[in-house]
This record gives sequence, structure tokens and C-alpha cells, in this order.
Amino acid sequence: MNYADWPLSAPVNLTWEITHQCNLSCIHCLSGSSTESADELDMDECRAIVDQLAALKVFEINFGGGEPLLKSYFLPLLRYIHTKGIVTCISTNGTVLNDETVACFTGNPLVNVQVSLDGATPEVNDRIRGQGTFHRIIRGIEPLAGKDISLSINTVVTSLNFTQLGQLKELAGSYGARLRVSRFRPSGRARESWEMLKLNSAQLRELSEWLNDDPNILTGDSFFSISGDGRRQLGLDMCGACKMTCCIDPCGSVYPCAFMQVSEFCGGNLRETSFQDIWDNSAAFRYFRQLEPESCRKCPRFDKCRGGCPAVAYFVSKDLNRADPECLINWSRETSSTPVV
Amino acid sequence: MVYSLAEGIQVRKESWGLLFYQQLQHKVCFVRSGDWLYPRHFDGSWTFDGIIGDIARHTGTPAEIIERSIQKLTKHLTDSRMIVDELR
Repeated sequence: MNYADWPLSAPVNLTWEITHQCNLSCIHCLSGSSTESADELDMDECRAIVDQLAALKVFEINFGGGEPLLKSYFLPLLRYIHTKGIVTCISTNGTVLNDETVACFTGNPLVNVQVSLDGATPEVNDRIRGQGTFHRIIRGIEPLAGKDISLSINTVVTSLNFTQLGQLKELAGSYGARLRVSRFRPSGRARESWEMLKLNSAQLRELSEWLNDDPNILTGDSFFSISGDGRRQLGLDMCGACKMTCCIDPCGSVYPCAFMQVSEFCGGNLRETSFQDIWDNSAAFRYFRQLEPESCRKCPRFDKCRGGCPAVAYFVSKDLNRADPECLINWSRETSSTPVV
Repeated sequence: MVYSLAEGIQVRKESWGLLFYQQLQHKVCFVRSGDWLYPRHFDGSWTFDGIIGDIARHTGTPAEIIERSIQKLTKHLTDSRMIVDELR
């Protein structure tokens, strides 16, 4: 039996989008964040959710949004989570860090900080994250550098920054950080920019080779790779949605993953249902656990990836039973079967 | 000899055994130990013989059989730095 089939009583980690509020308006934002929603969870509700997650021994919470540091109670909530021994990863745009934030992050083994930067130069980054953001982000990274903080710079790989990955790795290294790269997926505002920013097959293959050659590059996709095999061969890893991970949105709704925040895939809301009940019994979560695209079943790598990322398949084709359209094995077949003219 | 979780390691019980989590690498380790082992066995208070006796008591399995399996398992967990052993 594959590890992915070993049922878990709770996620290993989960993404918690703590607010929809964001001071930037990145064209690839997975959640389309901008302003705070009226019914976002308050501190007491968040604390009660943390109590549930701690009782279930969820090991790690990854905070995103929106910009989590804009949430007024974010640091007190973080401190509360740490009293429970839960590891946290804070994904920030780096533009609203202050002395209190840096102090909260420093010397804390339960904190991992990930600052988003989408280009090694203002010309590239600012086309994605907005005018003037490159320098603002760098000013945010500087106070974190050299401190006792687990720091990474995260880049969503797009056709605009693809040629700058080497520079981004060096830039991260100059701040004592590691480069983490994430897949660009067509959810949220990225649906509008997908055609312009997605990588072509040659770029994806090159990216896969680059990652295979450099184990020091972190990848969002294999963050919880259970076999370590995801980075070898042709890149795609198994989807952990509803098996090892899930996502809580700012209003308490629970989804299979941060990229699948679509009402039809909502497992339930924590204001009405316990986390355990949603995880164990929701129809959406049960469906995702048995999802295996028909077209992939004969593939020799099926056991490794089970069809890849359903979010990409869904947003591109509106069909969860399709293979991940960025599967490099499919492309190899297409390429090798294309007659050379 | 007693066993404790190594630094930065957490563990929880699952229906099929134990799930170890390594904080630094953000990795997990699946241990198919069924209902033999529990997280308490790695709290630093259980000796090897104590663990064997505890499993034998709650499963009814002969101690010699348990001993062979647990020896292999604790070695694997020690080698993969999930647990540390300490002489008492």
C-alpha cells in the first residue's frame, strides 16, 4: 500500500488564510485577495480552532492570505499557537514587517518565514506584484537577514521570471535565505493571468531538470513530499489535498487546499461543524481522497503522482477527472509522437 | 535503555501505527506498528523491556516475537533520527 493510502486522523499541515486583506494586488494571487471580508473569524474563534487542531495533533500551520501580518491579532494568535507546540510557516509579502514582528520571529524554532518575491529585478517583480514593490520587499527582507530565523524567499515560477531563477537563488543566498519555488496555478486572480504567465512545455522541462540538479532549492509542491521521489524523474508530485493537508479560509470554511477554494468543494464551516467532523465525514473530502483521473491510470508513474494537481486540471478544463495539464510525461508522449517535419 | 523523541520531532497515533513529524525538514515518517506502539513509549520513561512488557500485556503477543520486531523498529527510528536512546 502506498503511503498516500494510509488514512490520517488529521492533516499533517494545513494552510490557514487568515484574512482576505492585502496591501498588494499581485496579478497571480491564488485567492484574489484585496479587502477584508465582513465575516472573518475573530480572535476567540481562531483560538478555539487552534485548540481543536492541537487536540488532533496537527503538526504545522502555514499562514497565508491575504497578507497575514495585516490581521490585527495575528501575532497574539501566533504566540498562542506556539504555546501548543505547533510549527508555523508565515507567508508574507514582506512590506509590512516591523520591529515587533521581527522580534516575534527571531530565535523561535516554531517559526518559518517565507517572503514572496517574483523577480530578481524590479522590472520583472513589479510587473507581477505591483509598481515599486521590489524595493519595498527587499527592505522587508533586510531586517530578517542574519537573524536566527528560518527564512526563505518564495517565487511563483512564471514565464516572466523563469530566466531569473539562478539570480533569485543568489539573491536569497545573499540574505542567508533559501529559494523556494512554487507552481503557478490558475486560481483566484491567476485565472486572468494564466495564459500570459504560464510556462510552456520546454520551460517546464527545463525547470524540472534545474530542480533535479539542485536539491537546495525548496519547492512548495513537494513541501510534504512523502517519498522524496517527486523531485526526481519528471517533477509532478502527488496531491496531498484531504489526505495530508487542507485549507481554512478567513471565514472558517474548510477546503481541500488553498487552490481549491470553490464553494462546491467546501467541506464545511468551523462555525457550524468541528474540524474533525469535516476532515472525517465531509462529502467533498471523501471525494477528493478517491480522486484518480481515468486517463492517468495506465501511466507508469501513476503510483507516484496519481494525476498531479487537480486544481490545475479543474481550472483549465473544469473537469477534476482530467490529468494535470502540466504533466511532463504526457508532453513527452506528445513530443515523441509528433512527426518531425 | 530508554527512548525519547529526538529534538524537533513530534509523533501522533494513527489507526495503522505512528506518524512521526520532523520539524526541520518538514518531513513525515510512517511507522506501521498497529496498536503495538503509542507516543507515550517515547516519553523518556519507558525502558526497552518495559515497552515489550506493555505490548505483550495489551496484545497478548508472546514477548519473543515482540522483541524481534521492536528491536528492528527502534534501530530504524534511531538511525533515521526520529528517536534517541539513552542508557539509564
